[in-house]
Amino acid sequence: MEKSNQSFCSEGCSDPSNLVSEDGKNTKAVVCQRCGSKVLCPGMAVFAEKQLFLPSMQKNNNFNQSDGTLDGDTLTAHWLVDDMYTFENVGFTKDVGKIKYLICADCEIGPIGWHNLDDKKCFYIALDRVKHV
Amino acid sequence: MAKTYDYLFKLLLIGDSGVGKTCLLFRFSEDAFNTTFISTIGIDFKIRTIELNGKKIKLQIWDTAGQERFRTITTAYYRGAMGIMLVYDITSEKSFENIKNWIRNIEEHASSDVERMILGNKCDMNDKRQVSKERGEKLAIDYGIKFLETSAKTSINVEEAFFTLARDIMARLNRKMNDGSNSEGGAPIKITEKRSKKHSIFRCTLI
Repeated sequence: MEKSNQSFCSEGCSDPSNLVSEDGKNTKAVVCQRCGSKVLCPGMAVFAEKQLFLPSMQKNNNFNQSDGTLDGDTLTAHWLVDDMYTFENVGFTKDVGKIKYLICADCEIGPIGWHNLDDKKCFYIALDRVKHV
Repeated sequence: MAKTYDYLFKLLLIGDSGVGKTCLLFRFSEDAFNTTFISTIGIDFKIRTIELNGKKIKLQIWDTAGQERFRTITTAYYRGAMGIMLVYDITSEKSFENIKNWIRNIEEHASSDVERMILGNKCDMNDKRQVSKERGEKLAIDYGIKFLETSAKTSINVEEAFFTLARDIMARLNRKMNDGSNSEGGAPIKITEKRSKKHSIFRCTLI
């Protein structure tokens, strides 16, 4: 899943090469791409690849009425933390099955991340759903 | 990974439905962007990081949205809570009257040393005001609780409210620690120990 080096991507940039340090951590702060609320400080998360489906962040039409499916993206590049208190600011949705989605704590846009209740030490933030500053 | 914070406080927002607790969920941004998906599922809690006296504090803030109508908030919900925001709507007399019931609920179900604060929300809607600021202040004084009028819409006092509550929790923890290390009885006045279960109108408060 190679994305070209665009200077601007509407959904954030998923090319991780300049965002991941040698020891696999985030070199930059992770912030909300809409309101700039800080989600993670630099160096607090590790880069992880895992295929996760996140529902769309668009305002409407999340649910496809005709076939009951959900708009969204399967994303692979994530920031992983093992303790929810590593986050500077983040919101958790109520449970959807065993999943809690993560959202911006300020403007509440989301989902920007994913947490499985069975895996208490894994909290993912999708690189494509946030900004790096 | 090593802990990168000094304190972790669990806070609850309590009050009638419609008083704007959800907006008070420590949101500084005026324009929330709830997707259909997010607003359908609902928000459970938020984690916020603040700094007080050079200490990094993580706040885990829970909203009671949806449960309040049924008066189902009991011990399980209060477990571990260190601070509670009691929220009413200044444009709703009823929500103000209910603060007393909420305080009773807290006294029945929450830990006795939980820090409390009363917030009169929606103070941007002065033209529809039903509860004067003075009445809010009076109620708070009666119970020996701090009070602020807030507007989640214009962010007035929202941050201030959470900082105040966090500061009070921190002060209580420090007092507890001091009490433990030197057992001279002189130290700070423990308001909570003698907190009356009954509502006393003529409570003296130290200001």
